[in-house]
Amino acid sequence: MSTVDIIMPSKRYKQKATIFMVSAIVILIACIYLNFNPIMIFTEFHYVRDLLGEMFMPNYQILYENTSTGISILQTLSMAFLGTLYGGLIAFVLAFLAATNTMPYKAVRIITQVFVSMLRVIPALVVVLVFVIAVGPGSFSGVLTLVIVTIGSFAKLFTEIIENVESGPGEAIFSVGASRLQMIRYSIIPQIMPSFIANLLYAFDVNMRAAIGLGIFGGGGIGFQLQMAKSVLHYKDVTALITIIIILVILVEKLSDYLRKRILGEGKLG
Amino acid sequence: MIEVKGLTKTLPNGRKLLNGIDFTVKKGEFVGILGPSGAGKTLTLRCLNGLLKPDEGSVLVEDEHGEKHDICQSSKKQLRHVRERIGVIFQGYHLVKRLSVLENVMIGRLGQISTIRSLVYGFTDKEAEEALLALEKVKMAHLAQNRTGSLSGGEMQRVAIARAIFQSPTLLLADEPISNLDPSNAKVIMKLIRPLSENIPVVGVFHQPEMTAKYCTRVIAIKDGQVVYDGDPKLSNKTLEDIYGEELAQMEQYEHAIPTPEIVRI
Repeated sequence: MSTVDIIMPSKRYKQKATIFMVSAIVILIACIYLNFNPIMIFTEFHYVRDLLGEMFMPNYQILYENTSTGISILQTLSMAFLGTLYGGLIAFVLAFLAATNTMPYKAVRIITQVFVSMLRVIPALVVVLVFVIAVGPGSFSGVLTLVIVTIGSFAKLFTEIIENVESGPGEAIFSVGASRLQMIRYSIIPQIMPSFIANLLYAFDVNMRAAIGLGIFGGGGIGFQLQMAKSVLHYKDVTALITIIIILVILVEKLSDYLRKRILGEGKLG
Repeated sequence: MIEVKGLTKTLPNGRKLLNGIDFTVKKGEFVGILGPSGAGKTLTLRCLNGLLKPDEGSVLVEDEHGEKHDICQSSKKQLRHVRERIGVIFQGYHLVKRLSVLENVMIGRLGQISTIRSLVYGFTDKEAEEALLALEKVKMAHLAQNRTGSLSGGEMQRVAIARAIFQSPTLLLADEPISNLDPSNAKVIMKLIRPLSENIPVVGVFHQPEMTAKYCTRVIAIKDGQVVYDGDPKLSNKTLEDIYGEELAQMEQYEHAIPTPEIVRI
């Protein structure tokens, strides 16, 4: 016998087998409870076939028949842009109020953290419904929702980025007699700026997709067009809009990826 | 001139980290503090510019007008005023890697310029020219526009020295400035620090008795939170053993514990 206790492989195997069995049973119970039967996709396939028949070919005339499609695309893009910009700026300020190395007063940090958590726990679809009731449907509600969502998901991330910067340079700056604001300006901001901008680009990418979804719920933009086409049963328009959305999302994602890589990559100062 | 009197620092569990440290360093002196690990060298140095507050004792430092300030009794505002003229060089360089070399040097004057100006406008052209002169003194002017993160360790420490020079300090502190560097870079750094001590007191913490013997004008040894030696930088073997005794003994123990590797022939 060895002096060191180890978990024997046979015991490991028993543990894994138990976990597998238990999760299989839970999944089965959930499927039965929800009446979810994957086989139905095949037995009821004629519904899908009929729908697909109505959806093809996509009616791309909506792009040039009138200007509403083009405008709604621009509307969605600007919703995502403004939501990211305002949300990102507010998240940036809140992050400094919540980070231990920039805000010495614990009370302020806790209040900020609680405020941000409150924003984060409300689902976006609930927020947009509230704004649609409060200020009416349209892209204004959409932008307000995106601002809230962006603050909720990025303020905490920014706080962590700020707290993870090297503390050494800050100590050196304090030791030449600088104030806390000067330390933030000359040590923390230069260190966090690249990842801050990279995260905002990512936020734009996420918000772009969210803006489409929010449109369906009254947030304006191309999502709203989609909802309209669906409710008047113009399925060929729906297909065209879906393909346009897919292309738009891919383009935005590629662009933000490209810019992010350029910013995060080390370069020489100009 | 800097006067250190009766510094003590005790942990909550009663362990004495500093136990009455006294010394005075005048202008023209380059004092090297030696001692085994955990003796309180770095702790003492951190008390000298108020990064750490001792439980008791005083540290008198002169500002640029020759006025004396007790760092241990200073308010936050006074402390910032005194620190404006205390240059500090750290073991880890502590430069902002995302900023240019020149900007890192100019940071040395942040305490001396108004906060509003530093936040809104930044530094002036005149300050940039003076910072460049400081960089020339450490032979780094040619890299002034480069990103600091792209420099080597020796180069970064030279920039840190330029930052301290740019402060026009009345006191220079160095916390293990050569511990991360190879021997030739370490010599370059020591050669750069030494002439600064002609006009101001310089106090540094070191781990290399051979370096302090060569470049310092005086050595202070700290052991168990007390000054055990203060005088000539050239230490006899007897003194060295007194200072590093336990550490040396421990090292020998390890040497015995490591078996000699056998040569395996393939």
